[in-house]
Amino acid sequence: MGPAQVVVTAAATAVAGVAGPDRLSDPAPLCPAGGVDPVHGLSERGLRYKDRATKLAFRAATGALDGAGLPADVPATGVVVSSNFGNVDTIAQCADTIAAHGYGATSPMLLPATASNVTAAALAIRHGLRGANVTLCDGPCSGLDAVHWARLLVAAGRVDRVLVVGVEPANAVVEHLVRTSGLAASRLLDGAAAVVVESADSARSRGVRPLASLGGYANRATHAEAVARVAPGHVGLWFAPDDPVAEPVAAVAGTRYLGDLLGRCSGALGVFQCAGGAAWLARGGPGPVLATAGADADGVTAALVLTAWSGAGGG
Amino acid sequence: MSGGWLVTGAGTVASTGTGVTEVFDALCAGRTGLAELRGFDRDRFRCRHAYEIDDRPAPGVDVPMRATRWLLEAVGAAARDAGLGENLSEVPVLVGTTLRELRSVELSWRDGHDFDARELHFGPALRRRFGVITSYTVANACAASLYALALALDRLDVETEDTVVVAGVDTIAESTYGLLDRCYSEAPEALRPFDRNRRGMVQGEGAAAVVLRRAAEGPGPGRVHARIRGVGINCDAYHPSAPDAASIGRAMRDAQLRAGVKPADVDLVMLHGTGTALNDEAEAAAVAQLFAGVSPSPLATAIKSMLGHTGGAAGLHSLVAAIESMRTGLVPPIVGLADPIDEVAPLRLVRDRASAAPIQVVQVNSFGFGGLNAVAILEKVT
Repeated sequence: MGPAQVVVTAAATAVAGVAGPDRLSDPAPLCPAGGVDPVHGLSERGLRYKDRATKLAFRAATGALDGAGLPADVPATGVVVSSNFGNVDTIAQCADTIAAHGYGATSPMLLPATASNVTAAALAIRHGLRGANVTLCDGPCSGLDAVHWARLLVAAGRVDRVLVVGVEPANAVVEHLVRTSGLAASRLLDGAAAVVVESADSARSRGVRPLASLGGYANRATHAEAVARVAPGHVGLWFAPDDPVAEPVAAVAGTRYLGDLLGRCSGALGVFQCAGGAAWLARGGPGPVLATAGADADGVTAALVLTAWSGAGGG
Repeated sequence: MSGGWLVTGAGTVASTGTGVTEVFDALCAGRTGLAELRGFDRDRFRCRHAYEIDDRPAPGVDVPMRATRWLLEAVGAAARDAGLGENLSEVPVLVGTTLRELRSVELSWRDGHDFDARELHFGPALRRRFGVITSYTVANACAASLYALALALDRLDVETEDTVVVAGVDTIAESTYGLLDRCYSEAPEALRPFDRNRRGMVQGEGAAAVVLRRAAEGPGPGRVHARIRGVGINCDAYHPSAPDAASIGRAMRDAQLRAGVKPADVDLVMLHGTGTALNDEAEAAAVAQLFAGVSPSPLATAIKSMLGHTGGAAGLHSLVAAIESMRTGLVPPIVGLADPIDEVAPLRLVRDRASAAPIQVVQVNSFGFGGLNAVAILEKVT
């Protein structure tokens, strides 16, 4: 099976103080006042018992699906969610309740929320998405892995398009885990990003102009190896990992550290990078865009390239 | 994809033993891993039984990272079996799981145990033990390991590596255990698939792993255990926990279509069979409809009756058992089935004692919370 051309047809964010994916390529720091909580005003039915990660994901997903011009129940559409800390608050809260008051004090509504696919399932139900539904919790590389798996699902013919969401909530449980693990984090991301990944054929037939094309992806032991494997040449914009890189990418016109902008992004980083990179390319920013996530200390780095859409049709 | 994919190595760990042969022998003998709860304070729960692996330091004392330990055991056994030894540096590994190391999060948050959040996913442990670079932790509920299998097959179709490892693992987290207790009207004492008096699922622990290669490239340093013909995956998009029989049916049909098999070709169905009110009804109805008019209908069994519900590992636990059934011509029974529900009447269930039968093609069902469905079709290679 030959490589299918796979594109990004929408990008959206749900983070306080960030109006949209265009803001991600702006190096200026966020205003400390923060902005409006992105889940404020969410009025969907059934969200009351949902965890914060799911609510953030809902906000970003709606933006992306609207941006891609996708109505509900569109066939052959899958979901990939990336999150490392998504439901740790549910787990911890239940464990506390059981210790303090016994199992009878727990809320039965929370049972499906103890499984880490709770967000991906809720998105599928909300938007009628019946294609392959995957939740990845791969550590720092997870967000880029999610974009890559979305591309694989399209290339393998299981679906025509995939809603990809990266989300990390900030809460006391995440802070505890980060602190006790010695992970450097003065701030933690409390937000979500979403992109729609689609076959170029599907975008064309829907009359939608892609924001960007997905290029090479690599998952290697070191940052240098991963970058060399995708071989981007001179890079228009590099979205760097959460943690400092020993050998920063050399031939770049600009670098963005989303960790500085948003806080430690963990499993959501790759999707934020893809959203910001696609938006950058769509408004004519120089490419290609290189996104890297992971750390040599962790023994794995993922790298993904996005290029400007140059095909005919749409828009 | 023509030719399919070969299973060239397998490993398994469960409450009934370690190793493919030991666990399968226990299944055929009707031995279960059911015991009184060991890992949590029994007095805090109505339900006092589970299918736990008995490896804690003392009753009521728990330690982090048990899931990781069993995963490494199962992957190591599968890799050795496949002739790969301990070096998986060029082999991607996909791990299906419901809870990953969330039990360790409970122990860290509430009980002050040391736990490094980097270990929430299995990549670091796989790297330390086997040199794995590329790993994916697929948190896809009770369908996770067969979902991971589908992803692995797609990866073998599209990318260049010739070998992929797929695994599944789960422990029991106290939060899930307590919430199940909260949800049931009566505490189940055992997992009793398809019985009229079933009270719900009872959790189990364990891990399983298989090594996969493209059939066209042969078994490499391993030997052929079975051929995977195809895996169908979808999502109900219906309800957070209740299954959708029509969507289950579509997943099963998708699997058979991909595998190029007709219902009449299937000799054995490894049912998901969780012993819950909703799953067993929906699955029995969907399976009966799929195989309607096929005579004789395939044999069917449900090994959760002996291993408990091993969550993300369940699909691969059944798949590894299916491979042994094809190899030995023995099908493990459903134990504890005293009064079957009406919906299973059309199915040829293997009950109480293992059944001897030539098995050429097996369908393995797995259905998870959130409406995730993954169904695999595999066949014997002679």
